[in-house]
Amino acid sequence: MKVITGVVGNDIHVVANRLIDLSLQARGYEVFNLGVNTYLEEFFDAAVETGAEVLMISSLNGEAEGWAREVKLLKAKYKQLDELIMMIGGNLVVGSGNTEDIVSRYKNYGFDLVCHQVDLNTGLDSLEAFINDGKIKERCQ
Amino acid sequence: MSRENEKLFIDIGSTYFKLSTSEHLEQHFRNFNKDILDDLTHKCGNIIKRFDKNDVHICSSANGGLSALIIGISQSFSLKYAANIAFNSGINIIDTVLYQNIEEYTPPSDLIDVVIVVGGINSHDNIFSASLYQYLASLNYSNIVFVGSEKEVPAIKDNIENVVILPNIIDDRLHIVEKYLKEFLTNLYQQDIEGKEDIKHLYDITANQIFSTPYIVNKALPFIDARFSVVNPFILLDIGGATTDIHYSKDLVDDNIVTENEYDRLVFKKLGVYKSRQSLIFAAKENEFVYELLMHLKVTENIFDEESEKATKILMQLAIFLVLCKMSHYKKAYINLKLLAINSIVLTGGITKVLNIDEIENIISFFYKKILTSDHSPATILDSNYDIWTLGAKEKELCQ
Ligand code: B12
Repeated sequence: MKVITGVVGNDIHVVANRLIDLSLQARGYEVFNLGVNTYLEEFFDAAVETGAEVLMISSLNGEAEGWAREVKLLKAKYKQLDELIMMIGGNLVVGSGNTEDIVSRYKNYGFDLVCHQVDLNTGLDSLEAFINDGKIKERCQ
Repeated sequence: MSRENEKLFIDIGSTYFKLSTSEHLEQHFRNFNKDILDDLTHKCGNIIKRFDKNDVHICSSANGGLSALIIGISQSFSLKYAANIAFNSGINIIDTVLYQNIEEYTPPSDLIDVVIVVGGINSHDNIFSASLYQYLASLNYSNIVFVGSEKEVPAIKDNIENVVILPNIIDDRLHIVEKYLKEFLTNLYQQDIEGKEDIKHLYDITANQIFSTPYIVNKALPFIDARFSVVNPFILLDIGGATTDIHYSKDLVDDNIVTENEYDRLVFKKLGVYKSRQSLIFAAKENEFVYELLMHLKVTENIFDEESEKATKILMQLAIFLVLCKMSHYKKAYINLKLLAINSIVLTGGITKVLNIDEIENIISFFYKKILTSDHSPATILDSNYDIWTLGAKEKELCQ
């Protein structure tokens, strides 16, 4: 299965990104890592070019929500991304917040799996469960 | 006979031609009522006669380049990569088509020299279908090349007559692979030059291959600081009668495309002051700052209707301004250069015969102030003796 990953926007926190790349490969995924500093359009374009099934965005520095609000609008311009599994993780708000609220907001933005401050392996387990269980809108924790 | 090893270099432009020997350079305005070879032998027969065919090297920019239309499946990868390669090969892109919306595009009616179809990494399939073939059927083109996913090749071959298949320009890590498409396009460009009736006759006086001028100039760039006091990074503008070429070092590009070449170039086909005067004026009128610029130069737009030396000067100045605009963030083009990081601007081509350094610097500082709101002022260097072209021609010759 093909997965696109990267860190959205102007975010340069690279450590998690490297770990995600390695962990996904270890679990048998074919990984396309766009690295830090990746714009939404590049994520979607990479999905088009590769035919990837999963888009896994990471955001650490607090700018995630600004981008997440754009997701539905931009994704609607693409004609073949309806099946794409959308996942986001990292620090999804500035400072701290109520996880329940955060998850539900991000689902409204168009994400299937939302992993706010969730450990990577737990997150990847929930992706597997999501894929195997046939799209139950599983939460991350 | 010429002295041993002495070479004659000839550059055929759309407006002038230039001849250079080891100690002498001359240039002549072309007589458009004459075939190039006749004109050349009429004006410079004595020099040409002195040289053996093996010692004559010719380049030409008289044809103005090829046109391309690109069909790709995403802006950030297939269209961007193909556009980048086409530009670097000196090809003019007349349109790019995003495949998912192909039915919404009106096919251009002009004859297109080459259509480039691209999309998908090699493991991706089922990308293209009938809508591509329908669109292609409505186009008028001379060459077509496919540089997308390997898995699409059988279907592409079945459905597109005479299609040339080359290795994918997108590798499995979504990086660009320039080599094959660039080679193909450069060869097409070359064939186009050689195919021109006028140019063919020139093989009567040379036994060497005739190259395109931008290619030769590009060859000179790594050596340019040997001849001039150029401070890196620099851009080089070759503004002539039919086209404007801009050469720049790669580190000026605000882009993460990784390529092997140190220098790239862009050709603006319709920005010249003689042969493409009308389209230059059109481009100028479209630019919202041009009236302010004309005011700054103390002329009115009536200058566009004049056929004077003054009008030519103003058009040259406009060409500098427009080309800088096209490269800046003010206009979102394929490539934006970090113009604030430039230390030198080198000018070559017909422009050096028309404008003096003050007239050029005047425009450059207007551009920086107005468009980039900056007092930055890169050093301006005028290549009035066509040293750059001679340097490139010699380098090329040494490499052979
Ligand atoms: C190192 C670091 C930096 C370095 C980054 C170097 C680099 N190139 O990577 C530098 C100094 C450059 C930096 C800069 C900044 N940083 Co900083 N940085 C950190 C720090 C200390 C560690 C990050 C790290 O590498 N952790 C190790 C990795 C492995 O852990 P992780 O990133 O948390 O990722 C784990 C999980 O989140 C999860 N995960 C991540 N992504 C995803 C995605 C999915 C799908 C899933 C399932 C899981 C998942 O998996 C990982 C492993 O479990 C954190 C604080 C902290 N202790 O976390 C702050 C932190 C991330 N930075 C922060 C900030 C604010 C900044 C700056 C804005 C500071 C500033 N004012 O300039 C800048 C932003 C720069 C930019 N443009 O992005 C804040 C973010 C706050 C927020 N979101 O509200 C933090 C949390 C510090 C804090 N407590 O305030 N930073």
